[in-house]
Amino acid sequence: MTAVLISLAAILLLELLTPFWWWAMAVPFVYGATAARKGGSAFLTGFSAAGLLWLGAALYFYLTGSGLIAARMAVLLKMGDARLLVVVTGFAAALAAGLAGYAGYAVKRLFKAPAKTERKERP
Amino acid sequence: MKWVRALVSLSLAAAAFWALDNRHGAFPALGKLLDPFSGFWQNGARSDDLPGTLAVPGLRDEVRVVWDDRRVPHIFAANDHDLYLAQGYVAAALRLWQMDFQSLYTAGRIAEIIGPPGVRQDIFSRRFGLPWAAERMLAVFRDDAATREIVEAFTAGVNARVRDIGSKGLPVEFKILDYRPEPWTDLKCVLLLKAMALTLASYNQDAALTAMRDALGQETVEALFPYVPPLVDPVIPPGTPLDFTPLEVPAAGPARSEDGSSARLAGSPAPGAGADPEPGPEAVPADESSPISARTRPGVGSNNWAVSGRLTANGFPILCNDMHLELSLPAVWYELQLAAPGVNVRGVAFPAAPFVIAGYNEDVAWGFTNGTDDVLDWYGITFKDGSRAEYLYGGEWRKTSVREERIKVRGGETVVDRVVHTHYGPIVRWPEEPPFPNMNVPASAALRWAGHDPTREFHALYALNRARGYEDYLAALKDWDCPAQNIVFADRTGTIALWHNGKFPLRAKGQGRFVLDGADPANEWRGWVPHGHVPHVKDPERGFVSSANQLAADADYPYYLGADFASFERGARINEILGRARGVRPEDMVRMQADVVDVRARAVAARLVEFLEGAATTGTEKKCLEELRGWDFEARASFVAPTVFRELWNELNRLTWDDEKTGGMEVMPMPGSQITVDLVLNDPGSPFFDDKATGGGAVESLADIAAQAFRSAVAKLESRLGPFGESWRWGKAKATRVRHLARIPGFGRDKVEADGAGQVINAIDAIWAPSWRMVVELGPEVKAWGNYPGGQSGNPGSKSYEDRVDDWAAGRPYELLFLKSADEASPRIVRRTVMRGAR
Repeated sequence: MTAVLISLAAILLLELLTPFWWWAMAVPFVYGATAARKGGSAFLTGFSAAGLLWLGAALYFYLTGSGLIAARMAVLLKMGDARLLVVVTGFAAALAAGLAGYAGYAVKRLFKAPAKTERKERP
Repeated sequence: MKWVRALVSLSLAAAAFWALDNRHGAFPALGKLLDPFSGFWQNGARSDDLPGTLAVPGLRDEVRVVWDDRRVPHIFAANDHDLYLAQGYVAAALRLWQMDFQSLYTAGRIAEIIGPPGVRQDIFSRRFGLPWAAERMLAVFRDDAATREIVEAFTAGVNARVRDIGSKGLPVEFKILDYRPEPWTDLKCVLLLKAMALTLASYNQDAALTAMRDALGQETVEALFPYVPPLVDPVIPPGTPLDFTPLEVPAAGPARSEDGSSARLAGSPAPGAGADPEPGPEAVPADESSPISARTRPGVGSNNWAVSGRLTANGFPILCNDMHLELSLPAVWYELQLAAPGVNVRGVAFPAAPFVIAGYNEDVAWGFTNGTDDVLDWYGITFKDGSRAEYLYGGEWRKTSVREERIKVRGGETVVDRVVHTHYGPIVRWPEEPPFPNMNVPASAALRWAGHDPTREFHALYALNRARGYEDYLAALKDWDCPAQNIVFADRTGTIALWHNGKFPLRAKGQGRFVLDGADPANEWRGWVPHGHVPHVKDPERGFVSSANQLAADADYPYYLGADFASFERGARINEILGRARGVRPEDMVRMQADVVDVRARAVAARLVEFLEGAATTGTEKKCLEELRGWDFEARASFVAPTVFRELWNELNRLTWDDEKTGGMEVMPMPGSQITVDLVLNDPGSPFFDDKATGGGAVESLADIAAQAFRSAVAKLESRLGPFGESWRWGKAKATRVRHLARIPGFGRDKVEADGAGQVINAIDAIWAPSWRMVVELGPEVKAWGNYPGGQSGNPGSKSYEDRVDDWAAGRPYELLFLKSADEASPRIVRRTVMRGAR
């Protein structure tokens, strides 16, 4: 949970300071490659952090003046409903971040054995 | 195992990144676009509002911008430099993407944004010489300190805004198309004028008429495309005395004919395909509900008039204007007020250029309709050999020059196009090339176009914005060259005037209607019609001046200006209404701008109905006939009759004219409606009504053709609109739509139900319509009303993107707020922005 919150805050900060969307992938990747202890948690942390952030932010903007542009974008992207676009925004980030988190973890495992705590839990 | 897992998971993550970070065909890059912190979510309703205070580098003094409840900026500055710098800043705040896109489009650089599909359009723009002409014009206004300073200030203002918004605040279209605006330049302002010249002053049927002359003879051309057509009431009232001594007009040189011409002129595309050269990111499809108007020139549908105080209720002159352009979002115009010492002007402007274009100040008002003169000629060129390095002229070989155009292509190789120039101008199309969708361009012909000559419209606008009376207006007009316009004028002293104003080549009558022989120096333009000699009228006896793109002056006028003027209907209707007008009030003029009486239908419908009695056999045909019989000739959205009449008229024209095509003609140029109306009324046995396809001695007359046209029209409507019913109502069948400039789905207004039609005063048709309607009463306090199809903001996420459309469609204008100073109080003021120079 802490990992999710820290990741979320990191993505938020970096996205506010720079114009790059891919922090939503880079931060989970770094988390997976450093702190994650399991593949599943690397995926889920990224998935939840970026997904919640983008979903929440999209919902916030949708409700505070971006409803009209979202409705037009929904037509352009053939989604029919602007509310669906809020969900799609969250899901796109979640999926990309989850994959990045897992990839980060998998790369780490190339060079490093599984964490001790992970081994202890196993028996 | 762990290698496989790493590889697979990395690949998946990389694939997700690639998928989200890139465009896929026309599909936008989703990651960038959906990102709530820099994608489209940032382009909300208030994202283009300016704050209360702003630091704008370059300002010398404080500038105050007052925003009214229609989101109109009223800009108050202490000097001209600051005024136009602020205009540039505000224009960019409202419409940056539109400005950028239009300038790239005109410069022939659209392939940089949309990739290979844009190349052909870019080649057209470059070959036609738009960037070349803009560069030449730039040099001219740089010679003049006043206009140079203004345009440079405007450019600095735009660039200040571009720096301020950063990438997160970019208009959403940049994000969708995934590119960034480049710095604004003075050249981009000039390109806008060239785009207007192309739209309004490049229509020509020269290639098609040449083929027609060779096949059917010059007499037929003269009969169907006469210089002074029947029924037309010219802009300048007939009998207006000339106040100048005409120059001697040169004799005509020999026109180029099929025999003896080595340049290949055949293979020209249909003029129908060249009917809609309005810049747009894709070839504008022919207006399917108005095939006739699709063969008439664009920009036709504008009206303006001024009524003398003698005819008005308050005793003040009233000036009215509605300019017809292609409907688009963001809108063509935005409203504003510009005030500084020496100027306080209100009206509409193009986002990409300084000044108010059409509007009024405390003393005068002015407005435009397109002059529709012929200022474009084609010269068939005889090249010495395939290298195209030399061409025949006056018995000698002259050298061509080459301008190398480099067209950068997104995701492709740069295309290098070597544009061959003669002393006339560029060669636009070669015989081996396919036709351009924009225009019927004869192959191997050099383009001579008034729009290529360096012109001084910015000088004219600077002076018009500051005009205090008729003399100032007249002085300003000396600098208005291209596109030629009917510029209507009224002032507070009671003067009304109209100058059919522009730079017109001095030519023999009819010269340039056909492709000319470029080898013969006798075919050259011989200078220009002096400014004082262009058609004009001031304070006429009848108490009003008016124009509707029709013939400028009748047969007494000594100079030849072309033969492509608009047909008779709108001009006739305007003069009919004003001719009996007394005690006119501004609200009468507002109503008149929404007048929908179809003069064409009124002239011929009863006559046609006579022939249709026996022709209506099916139930639908009978219903359609009933509609026509009971019609009051008003083009109302709720009526079915206008739908039936439009289709009947189209079919009648198709059946009357298309079969005349013969020999090397690829298409039969469509005569103006007054020719067909005249035949219907006065010559029902005309051989033109005979269907050339029916053999065996069968000779058809109007009766046969009208019946055939009616049945065919009903059948076409049934297949297009379904069974007779709700969908046949004119407002629906006409399918008026306001499309996005880049045709982005969801960013336009698909269905607008409105009264009006191309041939009535309220000329709302399918995709062309009044782009700005204005009524100005010139009393001690100038009062004005106006509206346009769109909204002040270019941000599709703003409610002021298209908030004016419904009122515009209903013919409801808004009273225009015109402030005396930034301190003036008004309940309509909603916000203020103070701009100060940045240290």
